[in-house]
Amino acid sequence: MKRAAIVTGAAMVGVAWIVSYKVTPHPVGLASGLPAQSPASSAASPSPTDSTGTPAPSPTPSPSGASGTFTGADFPNRFGDVQVRLVITNGKISDVQAIQLPQDRQESAYISQVAGPMLRDEVLQAQSARIDIISGATYTSQSYAQSTESALQQAHLG
Amino acid sequence: MVTSAAVRRVEDVMGMPVTVHVADPLVTAAALGEVFDDFALLDRVFSPFRPDSAVSRINRGELSPDGGGTLVQLVLQLCRMHEAATDGYFSAWAGGRLDPSGLVKGWAIDRACSILERHGHANFFVDAGGDVQTRGLSEHGEPWRIGIRHPVQRDKVVRVVLASGRAVATSGIYEKGDHILDPHTGVPPSGLLSLTVTGPDILQADVFATAAFAMGHVGLDFIEGLPGYEAFAIDRDLRGSRTRGFDALCAAVEGSV
Repeated sequence: MKRAAIVTGAAMVGVAWIVSYKVTPHPVGLASGLPAQSPASSAASPSPTDSTGTPAPSPTPSPSGASGTFTGADFPNRFGDVQVRLVITNGKISDVQAIQLPQDRQESAYISQVAGPMLRDEVLQAQSARIDIISGATYTSQSYAQSTESALQQAHLG
Repeated sequence: MVTSAAVRRVEDVMGMPVTVHVADPLVTAAALGEVFDDFALLDRVFSPFRPDSAVSRINRGELSPDGGGTLVQLVLQLCRMHEAATDGYFSAWAGGRLDPSGLVKGWAIDRACSILERHGHANFFVDAGGDVQTRGLSEHGEPWRIGIRHPVQRDKVVRVVLASGRAVATSGIYEKGDHILDPHTGVPPSGLLSLTVTGPDILQADVFATAAFAMGHVGLDFIEGLPGYEAFAIDRDLRGSRTRGFDALCAAVEGSV
């Protein structure tokens, strides 16, 4: 039971994330940070192109009906830290906020020193094109899930 | 449920966003449901993050690799084949633990495509965590346009691959940290930020991308030797390099070198 609730929490984070990221017709999103979008609002307003609707996992209600704001532990990865804050209302997750995400100063500082002209030119050109899909390595969902799990445990929902 | 426009459904499965986008006029909820049910099934069996998955039980010594079910045997066999095909640079046993995720992802995408085809679809893509298999044409009647994400400026793309029936897979260190280890040394490879492989088959493209990335700068040579596959690599100095046939697959980019 404990584990199930944790998994559900992580999945909800994923849904909120995806809906805000994938519906955009051109690549934006991850680099500008996680939109502080609640899983509930994501589920209530599926993407315009999602004609079939995306079922959102239901949160596991806490028997105690806890409320409050719970901040997960900070989980680092190579480019920075991931930290998640959960807002719990009556035992349900009502909001998920990313306090820290890893695309930050270290990375950009490093790049500003080494960025060559070649990719910069290509980037500018490619931006004008219509794009259906983005191929890239997947987001650091593990750090994100760990921090979420930590916040859930503090809320005694985990 | 039947709709007349392109349908896109996104869910978080296997710890990543999975997108199914169908450009055919008639798309049923049953077909999409079957696709996501299959992803969920594979996640239950193969997720290294689920304590009750077969992979977790194998890693805890509770289940012999040979004692897993049909799906496990099939995946382990595929892993062995691709380990051999990549000279061990792709390995489901890197770090001493079983983690076939890198292959299962491509396999899951491939299975999803088969499900959609069985339901009569010919124009769609399936994207799992940035790895994609296309079929047919987009709702605009054109090849699908797949942007390769800039490894650092992640709101930008560096190339656009035109794909009709083609798969594109990218390995990199820019989002998960150094999550790809050289199985021979157990440490992350140096030199590259990302490496994208395109070819007819997503399972192979994905495995080849992982392996070529782990090889570092000689990874492109490895892909060059694989008929039907092309690659684009970005190194830590943000220089792009590609196999000989790669540029011909891309949307024209003025001024590229």
